[in-house]
Amino acid sequence: MALLKVKFDQKKRVKLAQGLWLMNWFSVLAGIIIFSLGLFLKIELRKRSDVMNNSESHFVPNSLIGMGVLSCVFNSLAGKICYDALDPAKYARWKPWLKPYLAICVLFNIVLFLVALCCFLLRGSLENTLGQGLKNGMKYYRDTDTPGRCFMKKTIDMLQIEFKCCGNNGFRDWFEIQWISNRYLDFSSKEVKDRIKSNVDGRYLVDGVPFSCCNPSSPRPCIQYQITNNSAHYSYDHQTEELNLWVRGCRAALLSYYSSLMNSMGVVTLLIWLFEVTITIGLRYLQTSLDCVSNPEEPESESEGWLLEKSVPETWKAFLESVKKLGKGNQVEAEGADAGQAPEAG
Amino acid sequence: MAPVLPLVLPLQPRIRLAQGLWLLSWLLVLAGGLILLCSGHLLVQLRHLGTFLAPSCQFPALPQAALVAGAVALGTGLVGVGASRASLNAALYPPWRGVLGPMLVAGTAGGGGLLVIALGLALALPGSLDEALEEGLGTALAHYKDTEVPGHCQAKRLVDELQLRYQCCGRHGYKDWFGVQWVSSRYLDPSDQDVVDRIQSNVEGLYLTDGVPFSCCNPHSPRPCLQNRLSDSYAHPLFDPRQPNQNLWAQGCHEVLLEHLQDLAGTLGSMLAVTFLLQALVLLGLRYLQTALEGLGGVIDGEGETQGYLFPGGLKDMLKTAWLQGGVACRPAPEEAPPGEAPPKEDLSEA
Repeated sequence: MALLKVKFDQKKRVKLAQGLWLMNWFSVLAGIIIFSLGLFLKIELRKRSDVMNNSESHFVPNSLIGMGVLSCVFNSLAGKICYDALDPAKYARWKPWLKPYLAICVLFNIVLFLVALCCFLLRGSLENTLGQGLKNGMKYYRDTDTPGRCFMKKTIDMLQIEFKCCGNNGFRDWFEIQWISNRYLDFSSKEVKDRIKSNVDGRYLVDGVPFSCCNPSSPRPCIQYQITNNSAHYSYDHQTEELNLWVRGCRAALLSYYSSLMNSMGVVTLLIWLFEVTITIGLRYLQTSLDCVSNPEEPESESEGWLLEKSVPETWKAFLESVKKLGKGNQVEAEGADAGQAPEAG
Repeated sequence: MAPVLPLVLPLQPRIRLAQGLWLLSWLLVLAGGLILLCSGHLLVQLRHLGTFLAPSCQFPALPQAALVAGAVALGTGLVGVGASRASLNAALYPPWRGVLGPMLVAGTAGGGGLLVIALGLALALPGSLDEALEEGLGTALAHYKDTEVPGHCQAKRLVDELQLRYQCCGRHGYKDWFGVQWVSSRYLDPSDQDVVDRIQSNVEGLYLTDGVPFSCCNPHSPRPCLQNRLSDSYAHPLFDPRQPNQNLWAQGCHEVLLEHLQDLAGTLGSMLAVTFLLQALVLLGLRYLQTALEGLGGVIDGEGETQGYLFPGGLKDMLKTAWLQGGVACRPAPEEAPPGEAPPKEDLSEA
C-alpha cells in the first residue's frame, strides 16, 4: 500500500518537472537570502563584540551561512535534474543517484529546521555574555590612557547614544564605579579628598552619569551630576523625573535588538524550510512517477507517483533490516529473520 | 525637400542599430531607476532636516522635479526596449507603427524638457541653501529653550538629535551657544544671585552662560565631557580652553549640513546629466529606426536599402507643409492635396 499515491500522465509529469525547475531556482535565491542573513548577523555581533567580552557565540550566524551555501548547491543540482527529467536519455544518467540524493535532501531539511529553531532558542547565552561584557566595559570606561582599553569610553558612549540606554541595568550602575579617571581629578580640592577617603577602596564615586545617558526629549537641559540631590537643582525631584536620562539598561536594549533580529531570521528560515520541504516532496513524486514508466517504448504512458512504496511501519521495518544486513554481511538467513522479528515484537 | 541628416541603412546596419538601441534603452531604464532612488533618498533627508531650512527655501523642488524626470526617463527606456525588440520581429512591429510617432514627440518634448528643467534646478538651487540654513538653524537654536511653547516644543529634541547624529555643535562653532539663552526660564532659580546678576547684566534680559548642551560632547575625548564654564581657564584643572577640540565637536552644523545636502544635489545633478545624454541617444536612434522602416513600408525583413532621417525636410518646408495641411483641413480644395504628397515621392526617388 503506497503512501499518498497520485496518478501522473505525461502532461502532468512535464508540468511537475517545469514547476519544480522554477521552484528550485527560487530556492537558490532563498539560499542566498539565508546566507546574507547569516552574514548580517555575524557582522552585527562582531561590531559589538567589545561589550560582549569577545566571547559571544557565533553558532547561529555560522550555521545560517552554511545552510545558505548548501541550499544553493542542492537546489541548483535539483534544478538541473528537473530540467533533464523530461529527456529520458539524460534522465537515465541521473537515475542511480536520485535515491541517495533524496535521502540527503531529507537530512538537509531536518538540519534546516533545527537551525531555524536555534534562532529562537539561543538568546539565553547572549544575555549572560552581554551582562558580563557591559560590566567590564563600564569598569574600563575611565582607562582612556591604557593601551588596549583606550577605546572603551568611546564605544560605551556611542552605544548608549545609539541604543538609547544607560548603564547595565539602569543609570544607577554608574554610581557604583569610578568612571572619572584620576588624571582629571583635582587632588588639592577638599571635596575630592573627602569622597576618596569615605570610600573603602579609595575610589572616587559620584552620583553622576556620563553625558551619553542624557535623553534629548527632556524639556530641561540634562542633569548629569548630583542626580539624587533634589536641592542641587531648581524645581527638580529625582523620584518623579523620568525624561532626564534614558531609563532602559543597555543589556535589555541590546538583548531586545538581537532577539528581534534572530526572531525575524528564524521566521524567514522557517518559511524557506516549508518551501524546501515542498520541493523535496515534488522531487520524490517526480522520481517515483518516472521510475514507474515501465514501458520504455511508451514514454507517454500514465504512471503513478508516491511518497513511500509501502506504509510507514513497513518502510521503517525494511529500512532497519537493510541496515542490519549492511552490518552483518555474511550472516545466515535464519538469524536475519530472528532479528527481524525482534523489533516487531518490541 | 531634402531630408535632414539622412543615413543610409541596409539590413545589417539596421539590425545593429536595433540591437544597440535595445542595450541603450536598458541602460536608460537603469539610469531612470537610479534617479528615482536618489531623489527619493533626498526627499526623505529633507523631511528630517525640514526644520533647519527656512520655510521659503525652494530646495525641495529639485528632488521633486528629478523624481518626475526619472519616471519619464524610465518610461522612455521601456518604450525603447519594446520598439527595438519589435523592429527585429516582423510579427510584432505593426502595432508599434502608429504609436511610435506620438511617443517620440512626447519623449522629446516631455522627457527632454523635464530633464533640462531638473538639471537647471540642480545647478541653481544649491546656492540658495546657504541662506536657508543660516535662517533655519538660527531659529532652531533660538527656540531650543521653548520646550513648552506650542509649535516649537520639538526644537530641543531635534537640535540635540541633529548634533548627535551629524557630529556638530552650534551653527559655526560651539561659541554660538554662548549668545543664545538655551536654558528655559522655567528651570532658573529666581532666588539665585548668580542667575539674577546674569539676567540683569544683559540688555535683553536673557540668561547667557558660557556653557553648551550635552549633545555637543565628543565621545572621542579621553576625559568626561566639560560642558560648563568653558571660557574660564581656572574652572577645570588640566583643561586648556583655547583647545577644546577633543572635548566638543569642532565643526558647526551649518557647514556639515551644507556639505551633506550639496553632495546629494551634486550626485543627483550628474545622474540627470548622464540620463539626458542617454535619452537623447535613445530618441535619436528610435527616430532613425522609425523613418528607415517607414521607408520600407513597415516590412521589416526587406533587404532593400532605405534612408533614415531626422526630419523629412528643413524647418521652413515643415512649417509650409503644416500650414498647407492646416489649410486643407479648413477649406478642402483638391489642388492643395498634391503638394502634400509630392515630398515623400521625392524622397523615394532620391533613395
